[in-house]
Amino acid sequence: MAEQKEKPRKVAAMGMVPYEMALGPTWTRFFEGFKEKKILGTKCNKCGRVLVPARPFCSRCFEPMEEWVEVAQEGTIVTWSYVNYTYFGVTPDMIPLIGATIKLDGVDCGTGMWTQIGGFDIKDFELVTKKVKVGARVRAVWRRKRQGNFRDIDYWKIIE
Amino acid sequence: MQKVGIVEVTQSSGVESPLSLMEFTYKPVKELLDKVDMRRDEVDMYILAATDVFHSGMSCANAFDWDASGAFMKPASREEGDAITAFVYGCMPIMEGRYDTVLVVGLIKGSENPENDTLTSFVADPFYSRPVGIQETTAAAMQMRLYLQRYGITEEQCAKVVVKNLGNALFNPYAHIKKRVNVDDVLNSERICDPLKAMECAPKSEGVCAMLLASEEKAKKLTDKPVWFKGWGSSMDTFYLGDRDLLDTQLKAAAASAYKMAGVSDPRKEIDVAEICEPYAFQELLWCEQLGFCAQGQGGKLIDSGVTQITGALPVNPSGGVLAMNPYVARGLYRVAEAALQIKGKAGEHQVDGKVNTALAHSTYGFCGQWQGVVILGS
Amino acid sequence: MGRAVAVIGTGQTKHGRRDDLSYPDLVREAVKKVFEDAGITPRDVDGVVYGSMPSMMEGVAYNHFYFADALRVVGKPLLRTETCGSTGQSVAHTAIHWVASGMADVILAIASEKENEGDAQATMMTILEPFLQVVIGGAPIAFSLQSREWMGYYHIDDAKAREAASIVSVDSHDGGLANPLAHIRVKLSKEDITNAPIITYPVRFYDVCPISDGACAVIFASEEKAKKICKKPAWVKGIGFRGEEYFIGDSSKAVWQSTIEASKEAYKEAGITNPLKELDVAEVYNPFSYQELMFLECLGLCPPGEAPDYVIKGTFSPGGELPCDPSGGVLCTNPIGAAGLIRVAEAALQVTGKAGEHQVEGAKLALSHAMGGAMQFNGVTILGSEL
Ligand SMILES: [Zn+2]
Repeated sequence: MAEQKEKPRKVAAMGMVPYEMALGPTWTRFFEGFKEKKILGTKCNKCGRVLVPARPFCSRCFEPMEEWVEVAQEGTIVTWSYVNYTYFGVTPDMIPLIGATIKLDGVDCGTGMWTQIGGFDIKDFELVTKKVKVGARVRAVWRRKRQGNFRDIDYWKIIE
Repeated sequence: MQKVGIVEVTQSSGVESPLSLMEFTYKPVKELLDKVDMRRDEVDMYILAATDVFHSGMSCANAFDWDASGAFMKPASREEGDAITAFVYGCMPIMEGRYDTVLVVGLIKGSENPENDTLTSFVADPFYSRPVGIQETTAAAMQMRLYLQRYGITEEQCAKVVVKNLGNALFNPYAHIKKRVNVDDVLNSERICDPLKAMECAPKSEGVCAMLLASEEKAKKLTDKPVWFKGWGSSMDTFYLGDRDLLDTQLKAAAASAYKMAGVSDPRKEIDVAEICEPYAFQELLWCEQLGFCAQGQGGKLIDSGVTQITGALPVNPSGGVLAMNPYVARGLYRVAEAALQIKGKAGEHQVDGKVNTALAHSTYGFCGQWQGVVILGS
Repeated sequence: MGRAVAVIGTGQTKHGRRDDLSYPDLVREAVKKVFEDAGITPRDVDGVVYGSMPSMMEGVAYNHFYFADALRVVGKPLLRTETCGSTGQSVAHTAIHWVASGMADVILAIASEKENEGDAQATMMTILEPFLQVVIGGAPIAFSLQSREWMGYYHIDDAKAREAASIVSVDSHDGGLANPLAHIRVKLSKEDITNAPIITYPVRFYDVCPISDGACAVIFASEEKAKKICKKPAWVKGIGFRGEEYFIGDSSKAVWQSTIEASKEAYKEAGITNPLKELDVAEVYNPFSYQELMFLECLGLCPPGEAPDYVIKGTFSPGGELPCDPSGGVLCTNPIGAAGLIRVAEAALQVTGKAGEHQVEGAKLALSHAMGGAMQFNGVTILGSEL
């Protein structure tokens, strides 16, 4: 084959695909609780675990989790991370942010990922490492206007 | 090589459900475990079949689907693509003697997804096929045109497949589309992609199908009527449509290996019932040819003869097939489940007449049947 | 259990940013090499197992259709196995089951990723459903959450964890330098690593894997075939796979049960009772240097909570008791879907003495491992030089 002169090219492409995803009865009820500033969990009558967010069934016992309980809005940080870069869904105005897994009092799992630590100047990294620790106590701070989704909890405040 | 038996199957309805995907998946899996009186953790292995982002809006489908499939802390894996592959994968660890029981589950919630054609356009390569609008339906229409022209198959004969399958679906409690139609209804439905009419194309359905497989000894303990896995064959074609003869598909090769493994020499005589995957009506006729139910080009005459009716000598799709219910990923496992129910004699109102000793389940996906798989089950 | 199965050939692309090739051609590069290495032709193969990350990664759904010719699968059966980051391990396991079941004698396993063609972080964000866990996804945050949980659980102070993670990173990058196919090939000092910018604290730039294009192919064969075709096969000694719940807080990620149980199953099958003593080399999945510390413990290679001590005293460094990731690991090469199968291929190279410059002298028993999902899945494959 004759030597190729042209450099191999790339082509820009974009795909957009819309979905309509069913929240289902369990998570609909869970988020209805948010509107009333309530955090709801479900309890497994076999192993006794209380899980947040609420679940339709216990993944271990494989029995339906039909007992609803309102849980505490205070808990302990299991782990946390200081996010200082942007990626899909996280824009420059959103960083830095502090993601955390929080074990709410009386709950048998850590609740993660929609839980962000805030309420002070988190741009000050020195201050962050002083205040945010594994084992630190936190409390949910609700938004004034709530729509029944994960954004209803504005942030989790460190209890000194 | 250990024998593999199908112990029990459960399935969900194809009609849109208000449940979340997690709740929707849990139900048939739980029902299956209750039916065989086993705890989740007593099953040795789990194989899921679900499809990533484009068919659920979530990447790494096994991540979200894990809990509801029952796979927590059990040996497990996931097949991407048609769920009939999960069935075959599930047989393997039992055949090798590693595990005694495997639970297979195929799942999708079609109502949450965009149209099939939107999604299958992403199957097309980004440079040559996608820009000119190739997706599953446009590809199938080209295949149909060729079929009509080369063999003189008529549009009426294709429409008869819809009439037969939707007629059968009236007796299947899980079917998605339930309405009595006649040939004129089909021919007069919108020509969405000529020569394909709207009613000749499969819908977009919900569907979770769960199945428990077991070794011979275990299967006999768990059920008085196990259905045995007898053979499997599969074959893949090349990608570009222009590189293939669209009427001479890899289904011939897939069927040949399945028949060889199962010891079937005359499929037309030895197979008592077939559940085949016909997302487009004419494909049932074409696939019947390639499966050796009739000679090449004789698919039209086959449906005219009445052989493939539920009362015929070789009923095809007594469940209503994919035209009545199309849970895109799970549909292959539904075919196996329906074939197994026919052998068990537990297909209810759509049970075929006469004893079923040997049943065939077929699935396909990709443009014009690029991937083909055939499973043979026996009593 | 079933028939014995062996690796009779491996093939990897040159990993890195491969704008020079289309995706099918990248796959073809690995497939061509595996046939050269095994000394057989596609005619000798009974079936193909393929896997990658989800379709969103490169924007083509079910890309095995598009790759049919590159995969040499036309006229043959194909299974597509996928379990997220652990895909490469799961692809190997499917091939192993397929051969062991007796339904095939020779199976070609392939995994690939052309990560530079899409937005990998965006794809990983969509592993999380849009209702409950959506605000912050992406791999670096998830795995730095895990590392901090592990540090908190065992009261490991930041400085000590930092020291150990730096050693992991230095060793891996040294491995990458010795591996001509690795993506990142630079000499780093501990200072380079500790002075690098924070990505998600405590994780810094050189604690994180790159975005790589690459493919890997491995041919598995039955005992009878392997002995006939291959002078020095790598025998499959044991496999294990476990997955946990979807919700990230449901189980401990510091004492990661899926890693523990998957490796226990593989050790049991392989007859290994003291992995640190009996294994000669380990290809641990290490997209994040901190995470490798936790893996070393959960794979049973050192006592819980003591990984930093073992790493600092050099147990897992080149020349140590159990060298880890001599290939440079995932820290130097991360075409995600392929990364788990690359671990298997590297383990095979080591036990057959074919690893070249990064060969661990006299390695006879090797562990390979991969992890995936929303911190959920772990797969392990152990290969040995003796049947
Ligand atoms: Zn429970």
